[in-house]
Amino acid sequence: MQVEKFSYDNQVVKQFAIATVLWGAVGMLVGLIIAVQLYLPELNLGIQYLTFGRIRPLHTNAVIFAFVGNMIFGGVYYSLQRVCKARMFSDFLSQFHFWGWQLIIVLAAVTLPLGFTTGKEYAELEFPVDLLIAVVWLSFGANMIGTIIKRREKHMYVAVWFYIATFVTVTILHVVNSIEVPVSFLKSYPVYAGVQDALTQWWYGHNAVAFFLTTPYLGLMYYFLPKAANRPVYSYRLSILHFWALIFIYIWAGPHHLLYTALPDWAQSLGTVFSIMLLAPSWGGMLNGLLTLRGAWDRVRDNPILKFMVVAVTAYGMSTFEGPMLSLKNVNAISHFTDWTIAHAHVGALGWNGMLTFGVLYWLVPKMWDTQLYSKKLANLHFWISTLGIVFYAVPLYWAGITQSLMWKQFTPLGILQYPNFLETVLQIIPMYILRSIGGFLFLCGILLSAYNLIKTARQGSFIKNEEAEAAPYKNEKDQIKRGLIHRWLEKRPVQFALLSTVVVLIGGLVELIPTYLVKSNIPTIASVKPYTPLELQGRDIYIREGCNTCHSQLVRPFRSETERYGEYSKAGEFVYDHPFLWGSKRTGPDLHRVGGKYSNLWHYLHMEDPRQMSPGSIMPPYPWLLTQVLDTTTTQAKISVMRSLGVPYEKGYENFANEDLENQANKIADDLLNNGIPAESNAEIIALIAYLQRLGTDIKGGAK
Amino acid sequence: MKSNKILLMIFSLIFFFFEQTNLLAANEETLDKVMKTMLVVTLVVIAFVLWLAVVYSEKNDSEGKTFKAPLAAFKKYLTRTTPIEKEQEILLHHDYDGIQELDNRIPPWFSILFYGTIIWGAIYLLNYHVFDDGQVQTKEYNLEVHQAALEREFLIKTGAFLNEETVTALSDAAVLSEGKDIFIKNCASCHGQSGEGLVGPNLTDDFWIHGGGVKNIFKTIKYGVPQKGMISWQTQLDPKKMQAAASFILSLYGTNPPNGKQPEGEKWKE
Ligand code: HEC
Repeated sequence: MQVEKFSYDNQVVKQFAIATVLWGAVGMLVGLIIAVQLYLPELNLGIQYLTFGRIRPLHTNAVIFAFVGNMIFGGVYYSLQRVCKARMFSDFLSQFHFWGWQLIIVLAAVTLPLGFTTGKEYAELEFPVDLLIAVVWLSFGANMIGTIIKRREKHMYVAVWFYIATFVTVTILHVVNSIEVPVSFLKSYPVYAGVQDALTQWWYGHNAVAFFLTTPYLGLMYYFLPKAANRPVYSYRLSILHFWALIFIYIWAGPHHLLYTALPDWAQSLGTVFSIMLLAPSWGGMLNGLLTLRGAWDRVRDNPILKFMVVAVTAYGMSTFEGPMLSLKNVNAISHFTDWTIAHAHVGALGWNGMLTFGVLYWLVPKMWDTQLYSKKLANLHFWISTLGIVFYAVPLYWAGITQSLMWKQFTPLGILQYPNFLETVLQIIPMYILRSIGGFLFLCGILLSAYNLIKTARQGSFIKNEEAEAAPYKNEKDQIKRGLIHRWLEKRPVQFALLSTVVVLIGGLVELIPTYLVKSNIPTIASVKPYTPLELQGRDIYIREGCNTCHSQLVRPFRSETERYGEYSKAGEFVYDHPFLWGSKRTGPDLHRVGGKYSNLWHYLHMEDPRQMSPGSIMPPYPWLLTQVLDTTTTQAKISVMRSLGVPYEKGYENFANEDLENQANKIADDLLNNGIPAESNAEIIALIAYLQRLGTDIKGGAK
Repeated sequence: MKSNKILLMIFSLIFFFFEQTNLLAANEETLDKVMKTMLVVTLVVIAFVLWLAVVYSEKNDSEGKTFKAPLAAFKKYLTRTTPIEKEQEILLHHDYDGIQELDNRIPPWFSILFYGTIIWGAIYLLNYHVFDDGQVQTKEYNLEVHQAALEREFLIKTGAFLNEETVTALSDAAVLSEGKDIFIKNCASCHGQSGEGLVGPNLTDDFWIHGGGVKNIFKTIKYGVPQKGMISWQTQLDPKKMQAAASFILSLYGTNPPNGKQPEGEKWKE
């Protein structure tokens, strides 16, 4: 049999590996900084670009898309070539992909602190960057599909199925969730509003977890774990079952981020039941990982790589058990908006993604540099530090979340809230915040250790840029679908495979999104709800720029403990002009949906200048710059026009005198402040923000349902 | 590795310390629940230890076959895994870059879980959205509010729940000091540490914007004056606390604190 000689491209894998560690360290450092800011708000040094609301998105984006993202690409490029027995389709695309992705990361690191954000979680980047992401992502897809098509191996290995599903689904998610209309070069409004935007966002957000943090990593697990353990994969049948079940069911589960909100009940219920159904398919992956180690457990003890992988897969199992539990409405009623969610996310991100990443890197680097790991001892130390770090991170936050939630809900025997002062419930859990930052610090130390160890490893070896390989060429044999072998048939057909997985992932999304977009009864209209005034709209954009929504929710859930604390619960019809929705996902501070009219303008002025003036001990950062910065009113016209094009009923031509209304309203607020002894400039940003805050939730304060 | 264990122990101790402080914040009801759960967990652990003791004390049966047999059979039934020695029989004839695949049967417990959750999901949807009207959360909320209203009615009848009609000014030291605590915590940021007035008006003089006297003060505290920035406290402070705060405020009369804000409102005569 004749064989063909070719070589694998290790260069791009090396680049991605370096980027993984580098951005990982940066992302985790930013995480540590915001964790400390939660008990030491001064740590932002009084610089607006470093406040919690602005760099929290930087942290999440860096860890998800830079740290995990680069590992995905590195791991895919390494394993895909080898299981396909082919070099990457195009070296140019590989390099384009690598440098394009790094450019996106740098752009994120610049624009997010500057306050250019859409306000949608994990999709904060503004539309020019979104476009770039689309181009680079497609180049990755083209390169991958190209490689699969010119493979020498007849069948596609299970890892490749996961890569294909990742590519098609992330493409769909990114495109649908990023449909936005530009106002200016770095500002846009999403076409969806309120409930629709919320559903779209969490359909995206949840499946970013599914198809960016889970499926590609399962693919990596299917390659690197059997390689490192030198054992056959436990069950091929199980791979098929859990792969298809996973990608089909995952898509439906998004609404579990919106339980007890203004989302229609039927969508919430779908979110709950599909999350529960997700348990088994997720565990299928864990099983296939752990049981592959049957007969290799003795090696786990003295092999740090396997140790990392075992903890990773176990953490995956734990968080995919916890996830469905958190989707049960009675559990969610306690966990939602608290630190429990943060703990859950980090068991996944640090445990599953973090630990698997390190396992893969410790295996990959010695291979590509043709040497041994520099220090097994250091790797072991890293393992223990990271594991301890995860425990230290998660346990205090579970405790914090449950404690705070119970305090929110506690009534006295007379039926009055026991802890009416929200801040009291925050101060109670500050010790937990301190502990968790220690956990984060340990994990960060771990990644620095790994960087040292990996650099030393590379130094002592010599890099194989192009790894020689040989294989028999692909022979196209005619075959028919046979009973029991349908999947074998499909594994030979990448295009059909990709199409089928597209159909499978589309179903859930369409069933949930389309009725919410189109069926009117899902969002009953409320006549008294009016569009924002120009000043309020500007204030709202300041709220988005400062990332107030990272700490404040704007959604009162239908619980007595919340309606007593905040006021009437939120109705779907109240959000129809909210492009984007700002419901938030975490209450570090109190809900703000009914804050309008609660305090005086003066209170807000002093509170924003320094929250501790009005709420002693508050951990909310001061925003003194809002008092001096001048509101940019040149954008008003464009904003009103874009809003109208999205269906907000501003009268025709209103954009031309919107700024007059804006000034009138601003003068009124400035006058009121002056009467109360504060001479404030009516063109300061704070005035717009106060106008927005005072408007919040007041449309239906008359009690209309 | 040993040192790691010691470290872990130390850290768990620290956790326990912090947990303790949190438990103190919890009220009796939650404590009760915690105690019950702990009791159940303890019983389960004791049962498990006893079972272990029995298994391993079986001298003539060093592998514990007698006691473990049912367990082993159950495990076998649930996993149906091919033993590792026979793994060659289910090894598939292909490899990908050296990775081979076994074709183990899908474990029955996995199938039970998989199909079980699907059935559960179907029942859930039928229950709430087909056999019921699907108004899940509003119903839940209305029930909760209705019950609370009944309880409140009862408390008002028994006199436990004061209102602006029935409230009286109190002057015993314990109440005033409670009132002071409440004042410092909730009111001082607007009215000043000694009631001298800041964002809100001076509370130590003769002049009252919304009426003086315990009934009016109680009323102002309870409902607030939202258009002027005084918030309503009725959902935050129970009536006894509002009474204590009002009594404390009355006790500030004539204290003439430094930096007193100009009088506002009308001179109040009882
Ligand atoms: C780090 C988290 C954090 C960020 C970011 C943050 N806040 Fe807060 N906020 C809090 C906390 C905690 C409180 C409760 C204590 C207090 O009143 O300061 C609070 C309270 C408030 C309140 C009073 C609510 C009430 O009902 O008493 C308002 C209004 C408010 N914040 C507005 C904002 C705005 C506007 C922004 C953005 C410019 C913002 N916050 C950013 C944490 C935050």
